[in-house]
Amino acid sequence: MERRRLVVVLAALTGVLALVVIAAIFLGSARLSPADVLAVLTGRADASRTESVVIWGVRLPRIAAAVLAGGALAVAGAGFQGLTRNPLAEPSVLGVSSGAALGVVVAQLMGPASGVTDALRLTIFGFAGALAAGVIVYFIAATGSGLPVQTLVLAGVIVGLFFAAAITVVTSLVDINRLGGIVHWLLGNVSAIPPRGLAVFAMLGTVGFWLIAGQARQLNVLALGEEAALQLGVNAERLKLRVFVGSALLTACVVAFAGPIGFVGLIVPHSVRMVVGPDHRLVVPATLLGGAIFLLVADTLARNVVAPAELSVGVLTSLCGAPFFIYLLRTRYRAGL
Amino acid sequence: MSALVAVHDVDFAYPGAPVGRRVALANLRLTVESGEILGVIGPNSAGKTTIIRLLTKVVSPSRGEIVFDGVSLAGWSRWELARHVAVVPQDMPAALPFTVEQLVLMGRYPHAPRRFFETPADLAAARAAMAETGVSELARTPVQALSGGERQRVMLARALAQEPRVLILDEPTAHLDLRYQAECIGLLRRINRERGTTVILVSHDLNLAAEVCDRLLLLAAGRVVRVGPPSDVLDAGRLSAVYGCDVTVSDNALTGRPLVQVRWPEPVARGGETGNRA
Amino acid sequence: MLARAVLLASIIVVATAPSAWPFTIADMGGRALTLPAPPQRIISLVPSVTELIFALGGQERLVGVTDFCDWPADAKRKPSVGGMISPSLETIVALRPDLVIATDSGNRQETVAQLDRLRIPVFMVHANRLAEMREVTARLGILTGRETSVAPLVDRFDARIRAVAAAVAAAPRPRVLYVLWPEPLIVPGRDAIVTELIGLAGGDSITANERNDYPRYSVEAAVAHAPEVIILARHGTGSGPIARDKWDRLVSLPAIKSGRVHAVDGNLMHRYGPRLADGVEQLARAIHPEIFR
Repeated sequence: MERRRLVVVLAALTGVLALVVIAAIFLGSARLSPADVLAVLTGRADASRTESVVIWGVRLPRIAAAVLAGGALAVAGAGFQGLTRNPLAEPSVLGVSSGAALGVVVAQLMGPASGVTDALRLTIFGFAGALAAGVIVYFIAATGSGLPVQTLVLAGVIVGLFFAAAITVVTSLVDINRLGGIVHWLLGNVSAIPPRGLAVFAMLGTVGFWLIAGQARQLNVLALGEEAALQLGVNAERLKLRVFVGSALLTACVVAFAGPIGFVGLIVPHSVRMVVGPDHRLVVPATLLGGAIFLLVADTLARNVVAPAELSVGVLTSLCGAPFFIYLLRTRYRAGL
Repeated sequence: MSALVAVHDVDFAYPGAPVGRRVALANLRLTVESGEILGVIGPNSAGKTTIIRLLTKVVSPSRGEIVFDGVSLAGWSRWELARHVAVVPQDMPAALPFTVEQLVLMGRYPHAPRRFFETPADLAAARAAMAETGVSELARTPVQALSGGERQRVMLARALAQEPRVLILDEPTAHLDLRYQAECIGLLRRINRERGTTVILVSHDLNLAAEVCDRLLLLAAGRVVRVGPPSDVLDAGRLSAVYGCDVTVSDNALTGRPLVQVRWPEPVARGGETGNRA
Repeated sequence: MLARAVLLASIIVVATAPSAWPFTIADMGGRALTLPAPPQRIISLVPSVTELIFALGGQERLVGVTDFCDWPADAKRKPSVGGMISPSLETIVALRPDLVIATDSGNRQETVAQLDRLRIPVFMVHANRLAEMREVTARLGILTGRETSVAPLVDRFDARIRAVAAAVAAAPRPRVLYVLWPEPLIVPGRDAIVTELIGLAGGDSITANERNDYPRYSVEAAVAHAPEVIILARHGTGSGPIARDKWDRLVSLPAIKSGRVHAVDGNLMHRYGPRLADGVEQLARAIHPEIFR
């Protein structure tokens, strides 16, 4: 039955994730020997030694960030595709990621504040931007009788374009010394997040995941069309709102902590569906793990292929995205499915 | 037999429709008896689909009240209503990635909306419904690979899986060939007789409606023209006026029910005269 | 000169302090840094700082530089930690630095914040004026234990500048347009060292009063000032003067009419290292070719 399939799929994906995490711990530009890494992990190494600092202070937080960000983006994508019944929908279409990006860009411009509060300020501004965009999108799309999905997508695209234009204005006016930093951020990067930040990310991510995963069965029914779903007893308006808020929250988290990373919300849900089928009760949990694996692999590549320089992970996901799209179009959509 | 559904003086207008087409239904007054087969007939845009939407709480009346089983619809939650009322729509969305069995199982949602997975009992009900409509072999087939007729039978199976007291069908025989039309009607009659399921049938096929239904509701331009047994409602003059074409009504030799025939128009010559081309 | 006296005084004041470690020093971002011992393993995230450390002779204590630290040639042999914007945190940590030197115009706040979190001391510098450059030199001298090299370095530098300034003192000061980047047009404003250098080289930068260090500027406004000399900055080695034809088309400009369009090596002007003296001399040759043959 479905329950057993879910357990099997999750077990397999968890195994793969564990392998990738282990590989990522051993790989890095600091070139630590496997013996050193094992010594650190088993606690035999002194906490103040370089190897410990590299592993606990740099690599593991970054791996955790990649896992959280990848899972969040993938689930947001799956939720949004289910909500809009459009397999090409991506969380950036919500408009929320552009809003969060504008918030962070504005925060970066507001002067160099040094200290721990800095990262927190960027995150808060990111969320504020995401909230502003989400609220605007909602109010544009909402009518007296509910939230029509087509209008939601259109509103999201337009609001996203508007905020992206605002970001362009900012980058064209900013002085040249800051430009590099802003452009770098806009490419999307996973970097080591402080433990408190990771905790907040994990908490909000859990809320977002639960909002979407809890409605997985209803998302299946929604595929029949809104009218049919209503006639089967699904509260379509509440479903749409929950999934919208869940996707927006997850996207905002990722953008605020890591910047706008594209294509994960598109590639991972599709790949997962090709293996487990269209049932959201399998797809949503599987994309959580699949997204974590995908972004962790991408980020491990990004920080190792041109070491000691680093690529932005957003560059790698975009490079994967276009060919994947072409492949999708040629196989699935050519066949008329 | 008591009135299962009672519609009291309902008006309904679609918000945002252009002026002149705004009012979909006006002064709708109707009862549906438990266990009967009611046919809803009328020209296009008469409001037939709107009635389905009102009865299933997809939209709410702007005036008046609908009462189901003694309780106003406003007091029913959607999923409770869905346990009692099932709809077989005309068609399903084109890009549906599910298999037949997955689709039919969705009909079990209202029986336990909080459950994440279906129970074995749900699966049994779904399989029974598929057997009744003859789609059991297609259980693992993706719905997108089915023909129009197979799709319609799958949707009927889904509605039956809901185990409803009222079954509403929107053009159920539109895509079916004669054999499956006969099977469908046979199935409807059987569940009506054996389980007492009330059936509301929306159809363009007046003769089918005449044969199968206990009562007919004739709608035109959002208003009730006539309600009653087929012999009463299907009057040539009335039908010609409502449908705007030439109609005759005779008796079906086999069953004694009315038989509706359209007098098809003759070709009109260039000069405007009707000629009889031999 | 007053500047020299102040510099000497500050050196004397701080030169006595280092014998007492742990030592607290204020960086140029206003943060106070307490170092328990003289730093032995320094990472420079700023090419200008790398140049200065080499010039001071403190390169033995330099264990890491960026990909952009290309002068002197020995700097390229030092281990690199990546770019200025996204250096590899792991590589930095693996080099076990006890001090990282960074700038707020070129490195990212996030990098500094992460180093703070890993409890690696970060010393922030910036220099928008020659006076600030001398201050950076003095502090680098303390941090590398090469305090005694500071004064001679600064003296040599000042002497060359004085020589140039004296040579052009009597000459008329033409209006100069310095093009950092042609498309979009980026020019040095009042916070750029180049502006000061142009003044010392005997010219008047037409963009001297613009806000910030390197603002955008419209070609129209540049033309309206009718510059008599146009200086185009070359970035990187071996590349020819950039976008000359764009300026050659503006035949009404005095600079074009008299053919006074010159290219200079940008790396000499935009970094605040000892090579600024070369920069001033190059500028002077471009602005007053009649004086410097």
